[in-house]
Amino acid sequence: MYGKTASVGFSLEKIRTLKNNSNITPELLETIERYHNGSMVQEERIAFEEQLSQDADLKLVVEDIKITLLGIETQALKERMDEFHKEIPENRSVQTSTPKVRFLSFTKIAIAAGIIIALGMFWLLNGSTNDRLYSKHFKPDPGLPTTMSSSDNFVFYDGMVNYKQGDYKKAISKWEKLDKKSPGNDTINYFLGVAYLADKNADEAVSYLNKTIANSESVFLEDALYYLGLAYLKSDRTEAAIQEFQKSKSEKSQEILKDLK
Amino acid sequence: MEHLYNPDSQLQLLNAIKDNDSVVLKQLYTTNYYKIEALVLKNNGSKDHAKDVYQEAFITVWKNVKNDRFIPENETALQGYLYQIAKNKWMDILRSPRFKKTKMIQHELNVLDKNIDQNGHEKDEEHEFFRKRLEQTMEAFKNLGAPCKELLTAFYYDKASLRDIANKLKIEENTARTKKYRCMEKLRQLALASKK
Repeated sequence: MYGKTASVGFSLEKIRTLKNNSNITPELLETIERYHNGSMVQEERIAFEEQLSQDADLKLVVEDIKITLLGIETQALKERMDEFHKEIPENRSVQTSTPKVRFLSFTKIAIAAGIIIALGMFWLLNGSTNDRLYSKHFKPDPGLPTTMSSSDNFVFYDGMVNYKQGDYKKAISKWEKLDKKSPGNDTINYFLGVAYLADKNADEAVSYLNKTIANSESVFLEDALYYLGLAYLKSDRTEAAIQEFQKSKSEKSQEILKDLK
Repeated sequence: MEHLYNPDSQLQLLNAIKDNDSVVLKQLYTTNYYKIEALVLKNNGSKDHAKDVYQEAFITVWKNVKNDRFIPENETALQGYLYQIAKNKWMDILRSPRFKKTKMIQHELNVLDKNIDQNGHEKDEEHEFFRKRLEQTMEAFKNLGAPCKELLTAFYYDKASLRDIANKLKIEENTARTKKYRCMEKLRQLALASKK
């Protein structure tokens, strides 16, 4: 439930009432625009998102502006397309490469499950202040060096850039698409888990990290157990946390176990 | 920021599309049209069908690029994606009762596009509400007075700066800012007032 931040039930009435009662100021409009076009600096964006998560009315306005902006752009594009259409060259080259599409002869697209190889990276995580232990132990992961070949890696990296900038939500949204494409990939599950954890969503983190550790061969196994423990710790499930830390043989886990006793 | 990936032509293309770069969009539009036209003409369609289906597909592609929903897999991935979406849309039309000739098996094309396209595959309430609001906004924008429409197009679509817009209109930048704000308010009101 908490994981789906975007799925607030909107209603037309709600927006209407809001509109009648409170016209938004030019300043607010510009702030929301900057939020939508990604030109906020990190601190501002984080603060704004914080505000958004607490203010349902603001959230509605932000959503409304988003639709408005998309509507303007889409309609403008539509009108431009009609202009483009007039400029399609008449002297069409014979349709050389047009495949014969018969009704039943679709080319099947093999959606190869892109496997993401582990990547070199650094963590930049905001420690939480909620829990002393959690913040004490929630530290950067040294990462692993690796190569890149497929384009899925591009999306993965792209998300990683957001992740490093602290834009966990964006990173998560990109990685979740990869996850849909190649479900069960332990790398993606792992980073989705840690991104959710960094985004203070321990429940989702637990779910993804559990998927990671389901693969006992995963190179992320140790780290995943450790972060899973931290995720439990964050949601005050101390017993479960201890269990995960005990499963993990890493030093980090042993240290935190000492503190827990 | 360090560059972790090689910006290849597809990525540049994607970025240009996100910026609504006119030259690039026009190029993409004009160079890929005939493939679709040929497809539609060969499959019981007319030139008008081809244009409609192509434009719909073009908007879908543009939207998915904007939202980072499209993942390039090779050098001509985007062009292929555009073709695929247009083809799917046309197949949907063919499958509709009027065109139906053969029983179709639900194909697995376009897994990516499946839950995001505009063909009504996904019809939960929120999606429906969003779509409706978007339509209302587009309709309102279509009928918005020319001065507002031009200003908003320049700013939001062509991404012109307020200063450039102000220079063009020979007004102060602040005046342009205020105008833009008022036009937005007007548009939003129009959109909300339409089709209760």
